[in-house]
Amino acid sequence: MTADKAIDDNTSPPEAPEAAKPSGIRALLIEVASMTQFSGRFFKEAFLPPYEINEFLKQSYLIGNKSLPLVGITAFIMGLVFTMQSQPTLAKFGATSWLPAMVSVAMIREISPVITALICAGKVGSGIGAELASMRVTEQIDAMEVAGNRPFNYIVVSRISAAILMVPLLVIFADGIALIGSFIGVNLSGHTSFNVFFGHVFNKLDFIDVFPAFVKTFFFGFAIGMISCYKGYNSNEGTEGVGRAANSAVVLASLAIFIIDMIAVQVSNLFN
Amino acid sequence: MKKENGNKIRLGLFVIGAVVIFLVGIYFIGQKRLLFSSTIKVKTVYRDVNGLQAGNNVRFSGIDVGTVDDITIISDTAVRVTLAIDRSVQKFIKKDAKASIGSEGLMGDKIVNISAGTEGGPEIENGDVVLAMEGSTIDEIMKSVKVTADNAAHITGDLADVVGTIKTGKGTIGKLLMDTVFAGNLDATMVNVKQASGGLKENMEAAKHNFLLKGYFKKKEKEAAKKEKEREKEEKKESNTTPDK
Repeated sequence: MTADKAIDDNTSPPEAPEAAKPSGIRALLIEVASMTQFSGRFFKEAFLPPYEINEFLKQSYLIGNKSLPLVGITAFIMGLVFTMQSQPTLAKFGATSWLPAMVSVAMIREISPVITALICAGKVGSGIGAELASMRVTEQIDAMEVAGNRPFNYIVVSRISAAILMVPLLVIFADGIALIGSFIGVNLSGHTSFNVFFGHVFNKLDFIDVFPAFVKTFFFGFAIGMISCYKGYNSNEGTEGVGRAANSAVVLASLAIFIIDMIAVQVSNLFN
Repeated sequence: MKKENGNKIRLGLFVIGAVVIFLVGIYFIGQKRLLFSSTIKVKTVYRDVNGLQAGNNVRFSGIDVGTVDDITIISDTAVRVTLAIDRSVQKFIKKDAKASIGSEGLMGDKIVNISAGTEGGPEIENGDVVLAMEGSTIDEIMKSVKVTADNAAHITGDLADVVGTIKTGKGTIGKLLMDTVFAGNLDATMVNVKQASGGLKENMEAAKHNFLLKGYFKKKEKEAAKKEKEREKEEKKESNTTPDK
């Protein structure tokens, strides 16, 4: 098998065991190139049969339902704490009535998407990275290939698409729970009725706040799924590689989330 | 298999829950922007909209009844603002209502305030043009403040001139305050006046003793003594009556 053929089949970085391993910028460029190739392959295979619906649903359950408690608790605490921390500053200006509006805009535009995505990168990313790496190490993926199944479709496509769809849903839950946390936070320092609080929230929120924040969460989901699958699928350094795959999946996915967030802010400001 | 089905049901609940939250959020945001209620469009033309933006609230009697739908420049001195107003308040707004641009608190967003118009007049209809009432902008206020400040500058300038003239000893007041020669003259004059008045006193004494005028002076003294006596009497009367009260 030539080196070129290997890229096509496994989308692994070109390996040349006899030559010295590329380092520095070269290694980074090779990594970026093979990641791009990996995502290209995902988009190609996602639309080709066989569609692994059951595996997709199972992964959605694992990513969505299983992360909800963690995401929910974090979002609740973020909403509560953010409100309580902002309250004294706003009180100095006599602007505590702005609290619901300010917290809701901050939560929905920025905090809940990013926090939720980071939690998913930690929980889901490390899980997928370690799982796929150990499948590679125990040669399950190779076995599937030999048996004529399409491991990429079964393992990678199902996980990435589950992440793309589940992260936005988790963010919606996080938004709602964070607002409830904020409502409780406002009521700790004074009394505000449910109607007044949500009246303020919805008065200030506009579609321009909600939609860019919603759209970017799909990209967060894609980044988490794609990077962790790539790291796991292409791990081939034995048992040690399993830990490394999980680790680098989390680190890279978190970094990618912040980079996407920065780009999203620029793009959404264009429409403002 | 059973467990897998249970997981699928839970996944379904998860998805439905998220979609419901999303739709409720969208509904409430849209409701505030009157996306889901029937509205009428009313136009008004301003020279300057002071930073009003599409999406800002429209108030009638202090209640949010709509939003600014669109702002377009139609000529170099006119900006057309289209307001979307809830159909349910249409009957309260008359054709001669006026729309002014205000702001929500010191730092808040701009809003359009609509006044009711005359009672009993015909109510406003879709597509009508409402008269714009241009409030005073910060620029205009600054302009009038500038005129006041210019006037104050003139006045203080004049005052400085006056003080300057006085200081140099020009004019009556200047002479009075600053001229030492004048002060010396004044002093001499005062001495003369004193001497003159001393002389006059002597003359008067002499006149009193003159037999031609003696009668007149005596009569005067008598009258004065009489008046004094009467006054003493009255005072006594008053001091007797007042303690009884």
